[in-house]
Amino acid sequence: MARKRSAAYPIVFLTLVVLFSVVALTLVNEVTEERIAANKREAIKQMLAALFPEMADFTQDEESGLYSLFDASAVVTDEETGETSVLSGSLPIGYAFMTDGRGYGGKIGILVGLEVDRAVRGIRIISHQETPGLGAKITQLSFLDQFAGLSTGELAIRRDGGAVDAITGATISSRAVAEGVVQGIVDMTAALEAVGEEGP
Amino acid sequence: MSSFVKNLTNGIVRSNPTFILLLGLCPTLAVSTSLDNAVGMTGAVLFVLLTANVIVSLLRRWIPNRVRIPTFIVIIATLVTIVDLALQGFAWSLSQSLGMYIPLIVVNCIILGRAEAFASRNNVRQSVADAIGMSIGFGVAILLISLVRQLLGTGSLEVFSIRLFSVPGLADNPASIFLLPMGAFFVIGILLALFRWMGVSECE
Amino acid sequence: MSELVAIFFGMALVNNMVLVKFLGLCPFFGVSKNLSSAFSMGVAVLLVMLVASAVTWPLFHILLVPSGVEFMRTVIFILVIASLVQIIEMAIKRTNLTLYNALGIYLPLITTNCAVLGITFINIDNEYSFLGSIAAALGAGAGFTLVLVIMSGIRERLDLADTPKVFRGAPIAFIIAGLLGLAFLAFGGMVG
Repeated sequence: MARKRSAAYPIVFLTLVVLFSVVALTLVNEVTEERIAANKREAIKQMLAALFPEMADFTQDEESGLYSLFDASAVVTDEETGETSVLSGSLPIGYAFMTDGRGYGGKIGILVGLEVDRAVRGIRIISHQETPGLGAKITQLSFLDQFAGLSTGELAIRRDGGAVDAITGATISSRAVAEGVVQGIVDMTAALEAVGEEGP
Repeated sequence: MSSFVKNLTNGIVRSNPTFILLLGLCPTLAVSTSLDNAVGMTGAVLFVLLTANVIVSLLRRWIPNRVRIPTFIVIIATLVTIVDLALQGFAWSLSQSLGMYIPLIVVNCIILGRAEAFASRNNVRQSVADAIGMSIGFGVAILLISLVRQLLGTGSLEVFSIRLFSVPGLADNPASIFLLPMGAFFVIGILLALFRWMGVSECE
Repeated sequence: MSELVAIFFGMALVNNMVLVKFLGLCPFFGVSKNLSSAFSMGVAVLLVMLVASAVTWPLFHILLVPSGVEFMRTVIFILVIASLVQIIEMAIKRTNLTLYNALGIYLPLITTNCAVLGITFINIDNEYSFLGSIAAALGAGAGFTLVLVIMSGIRERLDLADTPKVFRGAPIAFIIAGLLGLAFLAFGGMVG
């Protein structure tokens, strides 16, 4: 097909296509942005609720990532939108944070829940790359429930002098979880102190 | 009309993208651990392939040859991002389970291949037929693989949380290797051999 | 430093691109029939992964995030990769003709290699630092090359063996990939 177009035509065409793309995507992003943020929040809420069934809502400290959890008495529901928000000055019923452990196959994402007195409420595994059938058993409640109520000194597997029974055949994975929890508490201590005093 | 149907059925059996052309294997094997994933992925591929084929076909006389591939890529990447955002907004758990394999549809050879080989040279009607056919072919393939992997790997079949049926002994002691990557390789290897044995495809 | 080494080996072996993450399968089955072409493809992919990671990481963190346009990630990254491949191909052609003859033909194929786009996404999703991304790209490329080379070695031998007719070619290649994957499971624990 003969084309009497300048040599710049291909570049102009491509630039137009890219422009269309940017416009289209910006539009789609506008439409979906809020829903996506809401979905993410809901996913976190469900994870936190696994540890704190009485929780009604939470706030997150922007800098440290520490979650402060509140029960229904501190939460207000907007009649129209159904959105919940936390009354300022409320006292949290607990705290939670995400931390990592260095596992067998890579990073283990751990959610740690703490009571107001800093004792461990419980932990949940968010993500991991451990071996199925062995290290992957760290997601089982029978392993995770051991962490509830332990003090910092007891947060290690028995072999390391702690109170947690490691999973048979998955010492490394078990140890990674325990160490991850301890390290997380250490890292969060400053943030915990700050929030405890100020409120949400 | 007959060429419409011909182009449609081409993608399902004769040139099935997965089993015959061996294209777009990455997502097929990666997400085929459950029927939900298979359905989701097929839907995404159908949307992208159909829309891309239509757009490329409509623009085919204007796309300069030199920037042909980058143009296809931008069009496909845009559509893929739309699907990605839409899934994250409206089907959160599906988007989490399909993960980065949705954006990876952009380098799925099926879609780029059809834009290049077909949509840029044929009118819109035929391009639509081709897109639907290829998507059905892909869908059949990924559903078949997911069916086998989910059944053997978990002992039961579930679609969107509706349990279809369980195999009594298998459900308690499933062969979880099929859920692992290597299981996917075994399943497709055996299925390919099976199709050859059945005469559906040619041996090498 | 140990973190970087862990990322390298993690990407290369424990979470191998091909066998675990299913990325880079097309060239894997297409090119792995003889050892020298497999090695050339592997090296070419490693090179592109490295440059792509080095360019996309800063692009994402310094440009896209502050502007709030993370959703443009897919479009931008793939365009960057496509351009990079063109540039690298031209650069090799002009500087080293022997290298070009060895690698050059594989380069255009790499644009649609899911492993390259995949590693750029993984660098972001796993929240690696810049150096971490480089380590990851090196590891991913090395792992890809390793598997490709092993696979081609096996297939060269297999050509001489008496494979059942229905299995010849793609089917047996997949099954071998599965067995390789099983073998690679043994690497778990290296990184912990």
